[in-house]
Amino acid sequence: MQLGPAGFTSSTSALRERLGKAALALLLVPSAAMAEPAVTAAAAAAAANQVDYTALYYGEQSRVQVYEPIVRATRLFGDGQSLSAQLGIDVITGASPSGARPSGSVQTMTTASGRVVNVPAGSIPSVRFQDHRAGLDGEWQKPWGKIVTSTFGVHASREKDYQSLGITGKVSAELMQRLLTVTAGGGYNDDSVFPVGGTPVGLSDGSEVSKRANSKRVTNLLLGVSRVLTRRWILSLDGSRTLEKGYLTEPYKVISLVDPFSGEPQAEVTDNRPSTRTRTSALLSSAYHFTHDIGYASYRYYRDTWGIRSNTLDLKYRHDLEGDWYIEPHIRYYRQSAADFFTTGISSFLAPPEFATSDYRLGRLTTLTLGASFAFHVGDNPSQWNLRAEYIRQAGDSSPPSSTGTKSSFDLSPPINTVTAVLGYSFNF
Amino acid sequence: MARAIHPAASPPRRGPALDRIEDYFAGRFEAMASPCTVLVDGDDRDEAAALVEIAAREALRIERKFSRYRTDNLIHEINHANGRPVEVDEETAQLISYAATCWEMSAGLFDITSGVLRRVWKFDGGSRVPGQKAVEACLERVGWGRVTWQDRTLSMPAGMEIDLGGIGKEYAVDRVAGLLAAQTARSFLVNFGGDLFAGGLRRGHRTWGVGIDDPGRTGQAALYRLDVARAGLATSGDSRRYVQWRGQRLGHILNPKTGWPVAGAPRSVTVVARTCLEAGTISTLAYLQGPEARIFLEQQGVQFWIL
Repeated sequence: MQLGPAGFTSSTSALRERLGKAALALLLVPSAAMAEPAVTAAAAAAAANQVDYTALYYGEQSRVQVYEPIVRATRLFGDGQSLSAQLGIDVITGASPSGARPSGSVQTMTTASGRVVNVPAGSIPSVRFQDHRAGLDGEWQKPWGKIVTSTFGVHASREKDYQSLGITGKVSAELMQRLLTVTAGGGYNDDSVFPVGGTPVGLSDGSEVSKRANSKRVTNLLLGVSRVLTRRWILSLDGSRTLEKGYLTEPYKVISLVDPFSGEPQAEVTDNRPSTRTRTSALLSSAYHFTHDIGYASYRYYRDTWGIRSNTLDLKYRHDLEGDWYIEPHIRYYRQSAADFFTTGISSFLAPPEFATSDYRLGRLTTLTLGASFAFHVGDNPSQWNLRAEYIRQAGDSSPPSSTGTKSSFDLSPPINTVTAVLGYSFNF
Repeated sequence: MARAIHPAASPPRRGPALDRIEDYFAGRFEAMASPCTVLVDGDDRDEAAALVEIAAREALRIERKFSRYRTDNLIHEINHANGRPVEVDEETAQLISYAATCWEMSAGLFDITSGVLRRVWKFDGGSRVPGQKAVEACLERVGWGRVTWQDRTLSMPAGMEIDLGGIGKEYAVDRVAGLLAAQTARSFLVNFGGDLFAGGLRRGHRTWGVGIDDPGRTGQAALYRLDVARAGLATSGDSRRYVQWRGQRLGHILNPKTGWPVAGAPRSVTVVARTCLEAGTISTLAYLQGPEARIFLEQQGVQFWIL
């Protein structure tokens, strides 16, 4: 079976455009059986409803692959209220680095499913997995008079070992003839983590497990101000604080116990993280509307009580082409410092620390993203296609200065290259 | 041929039959020499029955009006005019104009006058092919370029015939879909012999699952499943009507220039487009390209599957 391209070519085929027009002309002719033209009757019946369908493919170089179709339906009411629902499904397959170090000899490990895997010497140990996730989101937006708008949302998602239930609320007010928008909101999530095969005790060999589900509660507050400076320039500042409490450890991640003299991994112990984390971030963003094009720039500062600090710079430029087509290149630079308890390995001769992780996402990290979006129409159809592709290069802190022995000959966090492509389609019905 | 996945088969009956399958209704009837199915999402049996009735009536109207096998319609009059000009109604005129556009866009490969060739070709799965003399004799009576078509009036040399069967079924699907959409907010699916239109997402954001038959094993297994919400879908291929010749399998779609079946074409081409008519035309045009079908489809910017 050969698959066709998912509905896009560099230029719309003239043949198809003409056939489409001819077909429409034919179908708009009233037939003997009907008083109303077929297509317009169907289209006019509910112009205020919109359905978006998007399918996402995500792949990390020989690691994770994700396929995620999303459907979002929105209903707009005459009084400005809107209701929307979104259903998303993820299918994830692949392998994720377990956190253990590569060794000069073959290592063996067990996975969450109890299966034993052998790892070729020198390769980064990883755990194969397959997972499905289903999520449902609902949102209700209501204007209160001309100034205040409230938004209320609910969220539920479930996967094999994780469940998330949450609510969010937001109120925004438009002041000074809509030149200033102030937004305040918050959210609460009640999540459960129930690892496959039970929850391992932290910093143990993983044989001791608890069968109980672990709770994780997340409270989030945000405050934002957005100001229209000139007819073309808008500037926003958003601050947010998030409190996490409960089971914040990654149950499948491990840390290598290392012989301090040879540097060879001796064994592995499980990940263990503090049970509270407070995250604070500030985002300054700006959009400038040129004669035709729009430029976006944003800077984000983030810190948390685990010792991670990060800086993000994001630039986008939207260039309008003929019709409603546009192209939007995108560049993003992200740099973070490591968490206080991040380590590439624990010495097997010393007493273990209270908390430790080798999860690369909590280590020192630099990410560069290059991408572009392209929106286009097919024929005279008002429906819009949107194609987005991104290349992400992520580099960790390769060989830490404390590396000794054989481990220094391996790149402990080699650069990961990721390519994401998203094709979206939206239409009215 | 594409067909909707549904488990049960209904007993043969006169008139539309209506079955409850899971959480939708399936109405079935015969029209245009094809099994026709109309699926209606929801729990309201009366409404579903009424919609299936509307669909069956419209399908039979179109069949009566455009079938070349009847003697009481305009097509018969056109085909037996012996060179006299025939004026046609608006609907027929639009259908003929659409066919003329297809002829023009396909550089003459799509031709509603090529039906004459079926007098000498028998696609019964056997191995008999007509003699070259017989094919050439037929070709003298084929060619839209010999037809005068303007102001809703058609003049054609005596002995020539038109056959709108190549687009009639897809046209009927879209017509019926338009009628149903004007009647109900429910999601539905119209499938006439494998050419279909899905009218919107079902309850619970679900799509309609459409299986694509493996052309080698027609009717046995839905091997591939397409999930569609709102789209037209059509398949062209040789899964049911073909002739075996010198180890080659020749499908029933004829090249009006050579008088022979299209050689080297894929077994089946499935196309998804905004309407069933568009999907059907593109899949037929692709099939007519023979070995170039894939390249042709890639240029059209449509979703397609080649088996």
